[in-house]
Amino acid sequence: MGSNTTEAHPIIANRMKKAVKNGLKIIVADPRKIDMVKFAHRHLQINIGSDIALINSLINTIIKEGLYDDEFIKANTIDFDLLKQQVSQYTPEKAAEITGLKPEEIIETAREYASASNSMIAYTLGITEHHCGVNNVFDIANLALLTGHIGKRGNGIMPLRGQNNVQGAGDMGCLPNLLPGSRSLTDETYRRRFEKEWGVSLNPHVGSTQTRTFEKMENGEIKGLYIIGENPLLADVNLNHTRTLFNQLDLLVVQDIFLTETAKLADVVLPARSWGESDGTYTNTDRRIQRARIAVESHPQVKEDWEILCELSAKMDYPMFYQNSEEIWDEVRRLAKEMYGGISYSRLDNEYAIHYPCPDENHPGTLVLHQHLHDQNRADSRKSPFVPVSYTPPIELPDNDYPFTLTTGRRYETYNTHTQTRFYAEGVKIKQPEETLDMHPEDASALGIVNGDTVKVSSRRGSLEVKVKVTEQVVPGLVFMSFHWHEVLTNVLTINEYDPISGTAEFKACAVNIVPADKQKTN
Amino acid sequence: METAKPVKTVCGYCGTGCGLLVEVKDNQITKIRGDKDAPVNKGQTCVKGAFAYKYVHSKDRLTSPLIRRAGQLVESTWEEALTVIAKKLTKIKFDWGPDAISMFACARSTNESNYITQKFMRAVIGSNNIDGCNRT
Repeated sequence: MGSNTTEAHPIIANRMKKAVKNGLKIIVADPRKIDMVKFAHRHLQINIGSDIALINSLINTIIKEGLYDDEFIKANTIDFDLLKQQVSQYTPEKAAEITGLKPEEIIETAREYASASNSMIAYTLGITEHHCGVNNVFDIANLALLTGHIGKRGNGIMPLRGQNNVQGAGDMGCLPNLLPGSRSLTDETYRRRFEKEWGVSLNPHVGSTQTRTFEKMENGEIKGLYIIGENPLLADVNLNHTRTLFNQLDLLVVQDIFLTETAKLADVVLPARSWGESDGTYTNTDRRIQRARIAVESHPQVKEDWEILCELSAKMDYPMFYQNSEEIWDEVRRLAKEMYGGISYSRLDNEYAIHYPCPDENHPGTLVLHQHLHDQNRADSRKSPFVPVSYTPPIELPDNDYPFTLTTGRRYETYNTHTQTRFYAEGVKIKQPEETLDMHPEDASALGIVNGDTVKVSSRRGSLEVKVKVTEQVVPGLVFMSFHWHEVLTNVLTINEYDPISGTAEFKACAVNIVPADKQKTN
Repeated sequence: METAKPVKTVCGYCGTGCGLLVEVKDNQITKIRGDKDAPVNKGQTCVKGAFAYKYVHSKDRLTSPLIRRAGQLVESTWEEALTVIAKKLTKIKFDWGPDAISMFACARSTNESNYITQKFMRAVIGSNNIDGCNRT
């Protein structure tokens, strides 16, 4: 669901495609006719942002037809009645109206998902980058709990993560509410463990998310911002607004490998080592910890992120000394021992990868989480609540002034704000060397546009010019762009509306107007 | 011809975690192959993992700290740059409190660097205003 796997996670897509040959059935839920559709048994080409209508209707059908796992629900969940009540109005007919699907497609999918011996849901930002992203995820969890498709090999919920260590960064405590080992910082006993090791008393109050930080910059509460290896000016929604906020800060520090668009606004820029020059571990999308090793020596003036921060903290009267990354990792293992205690560098050298949790050296690691849900005699009797949710349409729907819906995403050969993928090895033929606005042939012909024409795209927040790619990957009324190229600043168009819980912006839907660029000039 | 042993590492792009073999000559990456021993990719790579590595050796890489002086970013020593940051962070913390400072951590950097990043924010600055690109 909402995962353009071939382009964003090509190797995972390869493994899925290989599994199709061995009998796996793939159902793709995506508003675009992405490459995975070719390998899919069914494509649910839903309207943008209608995921909850679809999932609630799947749940409705599974309940109506008695395809749920009654024993699993009784043993592991609460609030099943609330879920039943909530989905009762989401009949396949009602959901068909919202999603643009046929009722039979929904009914068949419900039967297939529920009755298969193993069913797994993989999702990406197509689920989370909506004002209702958290509700979308809750509903996926509802579906898995309803059918017991969780806690067993070949089942479960698999968010495919976008960066090599986005999982690890959060696990290490780079989140406003969690300490290393992913336990809440409001857990006093756990917090004490860190206070003792670090020799300080810690702030017990949850901090601000990135989204909230932007709001606090706007009202003047945040004065100093330190950014490591990120280019939020290009990556975040409503770019012109982001620039204004950065310029208002008393101090902006950017630590990076290039003078990115964000770094150009900084008061101080610090040169960091890149991948290939750094030593340590990464945690991948399925909790697998693996070693990253130094391949080439960096420029002598360039340092690893941790070295820079240790030197800075010494200047702020809190010296931190580590000989190497292994010493840091051993501190993590000591403090978050339930998760990483058994994952030593020497074991990683021998075993290649270990899935956390792995509390001690004799523990094999945990390939499948939540297995206790299927254990009749388990000690942990906590139950998972169903969280019933309602469908809410995208915040900005198309109208007379802005008649198209713009959705954004990634492209195969390019990575995020393209600071690195600009530099390919010689002789590699790039299929998509620049940004395009992907548009359906019907819309193109109605606007008198052919492939390669330049158009002006405007939203209520900004405008840009871009070449058109005519493609049936999108449906009429829907256009697609990525945000990879600084030459075409897609995020001047996107809307700063956020999910209230996660703070993730609605990158997947905003309303735009499109006119041929030459017509614009003659007007 | 002299062939050094390739370096075993993990790809730095998406979250799949493909094991790679990096071939190096004269401190330059010359070729990247998928590692057949790697449990995730079993020898495969995508176009980014195998070929989009030249940025490591790009002339555009930052090789010196920069400080803004009279509106322009100019080269400085590490000592100067870190002193400026330490002074300004200390002043903001003194004038407005630790929660007037926020940090964006890097989802491409190692676990070890990320651990130190949050330790810096929590133990040195005294704030939990730390987040990454999880929401974008």
